[in-house]
Amino acid sequence: MVEITRKQVIPGDVIVTGDFRPGMFVERRGNSMVALRVGLAEVVRNDVKVIPLSGAYIPRVEDQVVGKIVNLTGYGWEADINSCFVGYLPGQFVFGRDFSPATHDLTQRFNVGDLLLAKIEAFERGKDPQLSIRGPGLGKIPDGKIVKISPMKVPRLIGRKGYMINMIAETTALEIKVGQNGLVVLDGPPEGVAKAAQAIELIQQEAHMADLTTKVQQLLGAPVQPAPTGSDSGE
Amino acid sequence: MPSKSFVVETIKRNQIVESISKGRRLDGRALDQLRPLEIKTHVIEKANGSAMVTLGNTQVLAGVKIDKGVPFPDTPDKGLLIVGAEVLPMAAAYLEAGPPDEGAIELARVVDRGVRESEMIDVSSLCIKPGKWVYSVFVDVNILNVDGNLFDATSYSVVAALLTAKMPKFVLDGDVVKDTGERLPLPVHKIPVSVTIANINNTLVLDPTEEEEAVMDARITLDTEDGGNICAGQKGEPGSFTPEQILTAAEWSIAKGREIRQKIKEATGA
Amino acid sequence: MGEAKRRLIDDNGIRLDGRRWDELRPLRMEVGVVKNADGSALIEWGKNKIIAAVYGPKEMHPKHLELADRAFLKCRYHMAPFSVDERKNPAPSRREIEISKVIREALQPALFLEDYPRTAIQIYVEVLQSDGGSRVAGVTASALALADAGINMRDLVVGCAVGKVDGKVVLDLNDAEDKEGSGDMPFTFMPNLNQVTLLQMDGLFTHDEFKQAIDLAKTGGMKVYSMQRDALMKRYFSGASPEMAATSAEMEA
Repeated sequence: MVEITRKQVIPGDVIVTGDFRPGMFVERRGNSMVALRVGLAEVVRNDVKVIPLSGAYIPRVEDQVVGKIVNLTGYGWEADINSCFVGYLPGQFVFGRDFSPATHDLTQRFNVGDLLLAKIEAFERGKDPQLSIRGPGLGKIPDGKIVKISPMKVPRLIGRKGYMINMIAETTALEIKVGQNGLVVLDGPPEGVAKAAQAIELIQQEAHMADLTTKVQQLLGAPVQPAPTGSDSGE
Repeated sequence: MPSKSFVVETIKRNQIVESISKGRRLDGRALDQLRPLEIKTHVIEKANGSAMVTLGNTQVLAGVKIDKGVPFPDTPDKGLLIVGAEVLPMAAAYLEAGPPDEGAIELARVVDRGVRESEMIDVSSLCIKPGKWVYSVFVDVNILNVDGNLFDATSYSVVAALLTAKMPKFVLDGDVVKDTGERLPLPVHKIPVSVTIANINNTLVLDPTEEEEAVMDARITLDTEDGGNICAGQKGEPGSFTPEQILTAAEWSIAKGREIRQKIKEATGA
Repeated sequence: MGEAKRRLIDDNGIRLDGRRWDELRPLRMEVGVVKNADGSALIEWGKNKIIAAVYGPKEMHPKHLELADRAFLKCRYHMAPFSVDERKNPAPSRREIEISKVIREALQPALFLEDYPRTAIQIYVEVLQSDGGSRVAGVTASALALADAGINMRDLVVGCAVGKVDGKVVLDLNDAEDKEGSGDMPFTFMPNLNQVTLLQMDGLFTHDEFKQAIDLAKTGGMKVYSMQRDALMKRYFSGASPEMAATSAEMEA
């Protein structure tokens, strides 16, 4: 039996005292584990971390993101990935090794205003994050309703092993693309889109509540059953 | 005004245009429907008058300061009415602090003209001593959150603040202006109402949101006063209107102006 | 000439607005009031009405000033023209520029700027109505806005001004006491770390009075801190009790 203790915290709060390992958004001060963000502190065995409930998206390599092309430079596209850093998709990654501005026209593939499902390929110190669209399902997003959620709540939206997002997609008959950067694209029949948007709003409002899964199931008219075991944070 | 300083997704742009061509907007409104409008007065007690207006998610706050002042040389017996507006840098992510840009200046001047040309306030009755002392009425608007149609929201806040303002009663004691301590309402004669209409893909829509403004080709603001007469107008943005569209816009402004005037009256007890 | 200066505190220790020497003015805070901002808070303290809004971390402009190893912290304190008795010109004054710097330096010690290299964090403090102690109110609201924005913070920062009227050290000066009193000391600190981050003083305090003032500011500040916590809890946890711990025993997967 693994016991998980949760506590609502703000920056500066002591979560627990004793011999623990400080995890994400936690600092050790003497004998105390201190929270550094507003969120839910979780103590599992010896590990203490905080699951923040607000905050900007900071790109991580391998993250799937929804990006909006905002500029074309000579050698690639710049994309707004809802972060303080602008994502960069090199022309080479799309046209291949022999890409050159002289022989290839970037606008043939993507233009300003296009939405892409992309991956953070690299994020080196001192450089902007590099995107790639090589992978299943990646590339230009043709249509759909765009919904924004706090990037910190995306794990909740996805759920453990995708439980939450799959449930939403199945009950609404939608194709759903989720960006770790807090952008979600819903594609399908309008009633399904409306329901899914409501479910996402509910998750946004109540990510910190233990009975969220049940509430979402009820909203969607899905059969009420317990979520897969483990932390609801989907990590 | 930074209405086109950010990129709207092409998908969304297409959705806006398609939805409008079917007579509805993305937020479900009819083409000539206003967003929820809320007006709260007396929010800044230190000011002589104030009004907080929310129009959808656009939020603005107007404050009135009334004092004695020196008249302009060419209008020695008329009070001063000066309307200013500042889009606070906190109001949107793409804004930076700095002197007002051309959009903010246009906003302030258009709202000012709308109030002035309607003769909402009878400035001739704001004279204390001709050539020397008059009432000076400053209205300053702070835009707190941008979501489109700053023109109308700003105008409603100015009007509501002026309608509920209390001015000091000044008297002359020889050559010295004294505050009697009594407080009076401003001499208000008209209630001008600003109505802004956007042209999106050759279709007119009333009270555009920020996304709609990013997609629009042109906008027109028309002010009407109580008699249904048009007292101010401004076309903006680099697109155009047909003369017929302008006349339709005028019809909308007169009709909607009436409804909104009623709302302003209810909110201010005027 | 020479009007008699009015008494600011009577023989029973009651001030002009009815407060005792160690009483705070009415205080209210609300988190999340500017929809577009990453974080924001409204504070109503006495007659002060102040909004703090935070954008960040965000792209740094101008780019050539970005810092390789940390965020560039910017702060703008500004008073609305209608916020004071005599209308104020909207252009930034020297006083506002100084206060902007002081507020920035009051908040910086609480922030992990190193966690956000090459970015900017922008704080806006807009005074819609001013009533003495606006800068400490601004710092208090800004700390809430920064936490709301999800910036990594060591602690909140909370403030309280103390001053001297009629020879007595008192808590939380209002506008009249600020203007007519003989000492004014804005003070902010990080409550859990016990570190002072803002101190300004003008007036005349004896050594003892100064010690009293610091003590009083800390005590008053802790009361304000509990209201900050309540405001954040209300916004994020729908007003549930701050120490609600949900323990779930689950089978290991």
